[in-house]
Amino acid sequence: MSDEVDRLMEETTAALRAAATPEDLEAVRRAALGRRGTLAGLMATLPRMPETQRAAFGARLNRARAAIEEAMATRAAELSTYVAAARLEAERIDVTLPGLRGPVGRRHILRRTLDEVERIFMGLGFEVVEGPEVETEEFNFERLNMPIDHPARDTQDTFYLADDLLLRTQSTAVDTRVMLERTPPMRIVTSGRCYRRDTVDATHMPVFHQVDGFMVGEGITFADLKGVLATFAREMFGPQTRTRFQPSYFPFTEPSAELAVTFEGRWLELGGCGMFHPRVLEMGGIDPERYTAFAFGLGVDRPAMVRYGIPDIRLFWENDLRLLGQF
Amino acid sequence: MKAPLSWLREYVDVSETPAVLAEQLPMLGLGVESVEQAGDEVVFDLEIASNRPDLLSLIGIAREMAAWRRRDVRLPEDRLEEHDPAASTLTAVQIADAGLCPRYVAHVITGVTVGPSPAWLASRLEAAGVRPINNIVDATNYVMLEWGQPQHAFDLDTLAERRIVVRPAAAGERLVTLDGLERDLDPQILVIADARRPVAVAGIMGGGETEISATTRRVLLEAASFAPAGVRRTSRRLGLRTEASARFERGVDPEGTARAARRCAQLIAELAGGRVLRGGVDAYPRPASRPTIVLRLPRLRRVLGMTVPAADAEAILTRLGIDLRRDGDIIRATPPIGRRDLEREEDLIEEVVRHYGYERIPEALPVETMHQGRRAAKLETEASARDALIRAGLTEACTISLVSVRLLERLGLEDGDPWRNPVPLHNPLTSDHTHLRPCLLPGLLEAARINVSHRREAVHLFEIGRVFARGQTAGIDERRALALALRGPWLTRDRDVTFLHLRGALETLFAELRIGPLEIQPAQRAWLHPYRGGEIVFGGDVVGAAGELHPDVAARFDLPGRTYVAEMTLGGLLERAVTQPRFSGFPRFPAVRRDVAVVAPEALPQSHVESVIREIAGILLESVELFDVYAGPPLAQGRRNLAYTLIFRAPDRTLAGEEVDGVIRRIHEALPERLPVTIRL
Repeated sequence: MSDEVDRLMEETTAALRAAATPEDLEAVRRAALGRRGTLAGLMATLPRMPETQRAAFGARLNRARAAIEEAMATRAAELSTYVAAARLEAERIDVTLPGLRGPVGRRHILRRTLDEVERIFMGLGFEVVEGPEVETEEFNFERLNMPIDHPARDTQDTFYLADDLLLRTQSTAVDTRVMLERTPPMRIVTSGRCYRRDTVDATHMPVFHQVDGFMVGEGITFADLKGVLATFAREMFGPQTRTRFQPSYFPFTEPSAELAVTFEGRWLELGGCGMFHPRVLEMGGIDPERYTAFAFGLGVDRPAMVRYGIPDIRLFWENDLRLLGQF
Repeated sequence: MKAPLSWLREYVDVSETPAVLAEQLPMLGLGVESVEQAGDEVVFDLEIASNRPDLLSLIGIAREMAAWRRRDVRLPEDRLEEHDPAASTLTAVQIADAGLCPRYVAHVITGVTVGPSPAWLASRLEAAGVRPINNIVDATNYVMLEWGQPQHAFDLDTLAERRIVVRPAAAGERLVTLDGLERDLDPQILVIADARRPVAVAGIMGGGETEISATTRRVLLEAASFAPAGVRRTSRRLGLRTEASARFERGVDPEGTARAARRCAQLIAELAGGRVLRGGVDAYPRPASRPTIVLRLPRLRRVLGMTVPAADAEAILTRLGIDLRRDGDIIRATPPIGRRDLEREEDLIEEVVRHYGYERIPEALPVETMHQGRRAAKLETEASARDALIRAGLTEACTISLVSVRLLERLGLEDGDPWRNPVPLHNPLTSDHTHLRPCLLPGLLEAARINVSHRREAVHLFEIGRVFARGQTAGIDERRALALALRGPWLTRDRDVTFLHLRGALETLFAELRIGPLEIQPAQRAWLHPYRGGEIVFGGDVVGAAGELHPDVAARFDLPGRTYVAEMTLGGLLERAVTQPRFSGFPRFPAVRRDVAVVAPEALPQSHVESVIREIAGILLESVELFDVYAGPPLAQGRRNLAYTLIFRAPDRTLAGEEVDGVIRRIHEALPERLPVTIRL
């Protein structure tokens, strides 16, 4: 009889190994452990056994049942892992297919540059304001210390709309408006389009952008101007950036300077600056004995050309998405 | 201004190498355009600021170098020998308007022999970029370059009555100038005349009939000062710029005129023989005064943020030729002849710091009340509008604000359209840029055209910028506008954009600015497809239009297929935008959802159906969304099915289904009554 138990164990182990599906597993269970299964048949022989052997044989059968049940559970676990894996495999995708992308919009490169400049000056406490592009001679010239017949008042280079109306030639015109509206101290920056009667070529457009700023207070000095612009330059072009202030002439500032910064081993000219001329402050209703002020006007388009390696200024205005998409 | 180094050395010692000079001169404000080496000679081409006519002279430049290196300037000696009779016995000068000609000095030199100049002089002139002509003319040019005072030599015997009248030209007068051109003159032009006729355009160019010739024996030498504005205007009008006009335009100090005239008369006598008659004639009706300027050293410190030692300030100003007297912290200064630009304290501060060195000013940061800068509110909302459109997937364009009528005509605008009446430039430069843009669209369509020409299919652009219109009464209206142009595939590669994409972008903008739902009403615009566009209505006003670009307009911009465009003014939207929203809390009671479906004529805008639903549903309605539009069998031709999902919610209780059903019943009754629709149940 004990041979039959050994055979049951061998056969069941082999059948379990062969079982590939939950159904196979169930068939094995029925054959071995079912009500009419092999183990049940062996159990049925117990009552007819001599009493001396019965207890030992019964115990052996119980051990066999436990062993089979454990083997079945193990096999069931194996099978379910396998089935799940097979189902996942059937869901295989090609991860090298190109992605589906939503549209990504972009700021224009000049706007991006203006935003950067404005952000730096906001960090230095400057307020950003705007002014009209159509200006009067008064605000564009006279209040900037360029009376009629002033040599720097180059009407040849100015677009006129009427006798007294023109397209602003520099955003400093906004400064004169702000000074009339407010009282010191002031820390203002403005940006926008300016116009000049220039023939279009690789470095000239009749429309260009400028960032203009000024600061009025008791005790504002040229040293402050240098500090503010040097801080700006380091923020904009990197901490190693050096600045150069060269004497220059503007009717509305004195002393005046041209600002240049180091960029990739060369000097990049950014614009003009200086201490507001006392006459400009007087015309703005500010007492030049009590207050001093610095002012600066920075080019945007040409420095952006150098900074981004754009060879032709016209590319800014063509809006070729092959270019805009790179920034 | 071309400055030969050997010539400069006449007036100041220059030991620096050309390379050092080229690097250092800009630190004085003298821009170096080029440095040319020709044989032993080195010539600096300097860029001179418009307020410094004195630097259009070698002595002026020498003064700058002297102040820079604290050296002395050597001025040419006055060795003029004068002979009887007095010049005034032979000639006379009359000035009609001293405002236009403050001073006119004439010398008479008799017995000259006209011939070529000596080599040293001719080569100096050539190095300075002036062509040698003859010894007399060359002497005038030499002294002009030396002192910055232009001069002119007449053949005295060609002048009617041998006298000079400085006056406005009479209408109809003409003059053949030295360049051989006949010039029409008028009373706006100041001329030098003799007793009968104009013989020179004042301050610009002499006339051919009275010029120095091989036979000239007696010379009238002119050294004068003319009003800058007049010379500039005349020079522009005649299209004639000369070395003389360049100097007079910037202002020649009348105080220096006599000195330069004596120097030139002496040089002519030396070069061409001859005798300089005694005295000359000096017409100087109202001698200019030389100002005394007070420089306060504490003010110098206050402006610069740095202390310049008084001794340094004094040394610098003195080398620049300024006479000064220091009294403690106060310096009283009298500028030299030729420095009319020095008028007030700030001018002296600039002189001191220029030569002391801008690089010696420390970098400081202003000590003021700390505060964070910010953008003006309107600029901040403009930035959020821009960001909303960029997040919606559009790319920002930047197009030029100058347009031509030709470009605007491509929009096919009707008579009376305000865009057909753009603001013209008085003085345009090119035919492409004759007017201020009345709208952004043409620029944006040009940008689309350029991209399409590069075979770019997907073009999704917008621009926010200023547009201009003639004002109601006078002046010019300057407004902020927004335009969009969409074409080609967008969200998926295989499907081109539709009107709904355009509308979606605008809806995103409205939602981000929190200014309520976008309203577009069917309407026509010349530039829009007549049945695929409408007006954008905001706060009861038409603020713009949106739709499919009219095929004719698209063809004129070389845009194949369909392009969707919008243009609107932005000011009102930005004013109403809510930039700081508040949290509104989550709903506390459940919602009830119901669908409503109608069959409507295709020509009936769904917005009509929606507005009836909203009106009847009242305050319990939380939202209504059109979720399906269907046309086709089994519906009749020309009709479509519109299906809406309505969400109802009460803020204070759980809504009963029956209550909502009652509302739905009223909607079902109202829709067929008010609109040509049937309810689908």
